Amino acid sequence: MSDGGLQLEGVDVRFGTAAGLRGLTLQVAAGERVALLGPSGAGKTSLLRVIAGLDPLAGGRVIVGGIDVSSVTPDRRRTVYLHQNPSLFTHLSVVDNVAFPLEVRGVERRQARRQATELLARVHLDGFALRRAGGLSGGQRHRVALARALAAQPHVLLLDEPFSALDPSLRAEVREAVMALLDDRGPATIVVTHDIDEAAQFADRLAVLLDRRITQFAPPGEVLCHPASLRVARFLGIPNIIAGASDGTGRFESPIGSVPAGSHAGPGLLVGRADAFLATRAPAGRGIARVEAFVERVGGTWLWVRAGAARVLASEAGDARLAVGDSVEITIFPDRVHVLPPESDSVTEDVPRVR
Amino acid sequence: MTRTPWSARALLALLALLALGPVLALIVQAMAASWRFHALYPADTGFEAFANLLVSHRLRSALLMSLGLALATGATAMVLGFWAGRALSGAAGAVRRVGAMAAFLPVVAPPIALGIGLQVVVLKAGLGGDWQGVLLAHLVPATGYVTLYFLGVLSAYDDGMEEEARTLGANRWQVLRRITVPALRRRLAEALVLGALVSWGQLALTLLVGGGAVRTLPVELLSLLQSGDDRVGAAAAVALTIPPLLALGLLQVGARRAGSHT
Repeated sequence: MSDGGLQLEGVDVRFGTAAGLRGLTLQVAAGERVALLGPSGAGKTSLLRVIAGLDPLAGGRVIVGGIDVSSVTPDRRRTVYLHQNPSLFTHLSVVDNVAFPLEVRGVERRQARRQATELLARVHLDGFALRRAGGLSGGQRHRVALARALAAQPHVLLLDEPFSALDPSLRAEVREAVMALLDDRGPATIVVTHDIDEAAQFADRLAVLLDRRITQFAPPGEVLCHPASLRVARFLGIPNIIAGASDGTGRFESPIGSVPAGSHAGPGLLVGRADAFLATRAPAGRGIARVEAFVERVGGTWLWVRAGAARVLASEAGDARLAVGDSVEITIFPDRVHVLPPESDSVTEDVPRVR
Repeated sequence: MTRTPWSARALLALLALLALGPVLALIVQAMAASWRFHALYPADTGFEAFANLLVSHRLRSALLMSLGLALATGATAMVLGFWAGRALSGAAGAVRRVGAMAAFLPVVAPPIALGIGLQVVVLKAGLGGDWQGVLLAHLVPATGYVTLYFLGVLSAYDDGMEEEARTLGANRWQVLRRITVPALRRRLAEALVLGALVSWGQLALTLLVGGGAVRTLPVELLSLLQSGDDRVGAAAAVALTIPPLLALGLLQVGARRAGSHT
């Protein structure tokens, strides 16, 4: 069982010969799941490899289970790293793959296989024990890799885009299997993913890696509703970034309505997801916006509405039955929006597209 | 199934004829007790030349020397070439280019030129005229071939498997023994055969470094041809071609059993 989780203290990571990440500090408790988000090339995989000991640490300390492992070889870190496409040992059977970490630590073969069989049952693959690992489907491979990782009883589990190679139906299946197992076993887990929805469902906290540093580290709801900066909001694909200003009375006024300004004063940007804005049919003459288009998604329908210069992606009230051109009112949920100071780049004319 | 065009089939038949023709001619030559000029077929045939080959102590010891040298060269070149190929496949830029050229040099250098250079080194090491010196000399081109072979193989090899094994708790030796070697078993066997075949056919290096004292099958074959005993010479030449054919056949069988072809 894990004890103490993972701690990064001022970690520097080089990208080949170039300067990379600098002074990263992060703490992941035992049993906690953290999703590491960032654009391609931000250094997410490089960071995981450094934590696993597969690449050298340029500076700082990596502490696993309360022990400084900065100069410890990968086999003695109690940190398991899983690639995007799990590298099963194709010359071994499924059960021998799972028994591998036990056997290399000196567990007697029969005992190791018995434990491996139990782990396979937990990922619902007990009927596959004697099959060759090379003959498994994508989802089965992931589940075997996960069972094998847990057989090593790691303090830290590093998953590098574990679901990205799977089709949508398998993604959910594998994600659920991973979550069920990790709840039970409890290593500190870091998962790298490009899918922000998936990260929000999977992780207890999100770490946003931008500009070579962790710019925000908070629970998913906090990151998605209150992004730390315009840059974070844009990276997350938050669709609504609406210019406005605090009027000095503690309210922030925008073309679609006002919200509490908090400590903000002067010009600013109202940032929020579609579910922060609810469009309802307006009584005649009272509409502040007009429906421009609908966005069909697996999770429901959103709609683009325009209010003056501002274009807003909003959710639709259940009984609204709106059509393009309808006049609507917008209700803003204050706890789901955030007011940010304006930054150098103009945003109202460049609203990010819906993912 | 796609039908092979007749032109391709004709080309394949020509290639097969070019490959097998000389071997067939050797077998006929070895079996021909009497074959006069102008006659299309030998007048009299028999297996005496092959029998002589088997009873000749000299040829048997040459056969054993060749087999021993080939196996030792193959095994050593497999190990050296694997590590060199691995180092080069993980390298980039100038290191990889220079390393590949260094491996390529003994492969493309004329054996006679290579032999003269190696003769100096081996004599300085006090191994001239010794089988150990010949082994060292054979290792130079064999390791070159095997390194280039592994350079190609390892470029497509998924070393993620080894990385995951390391983080699963295996030390370097356990990864080598339990992951790398089993995963590359067939490739290692092919490399061993490749290295052994380079040694098996060596004549120039053996003569120059062995100084005539190390009697391998090619050296004895040359003596037989020089002495005018063409029939036993042809039988010895047939014997020289059998082990490589057997080795290639075994590799093919292994590849089929593994579910893939070489």
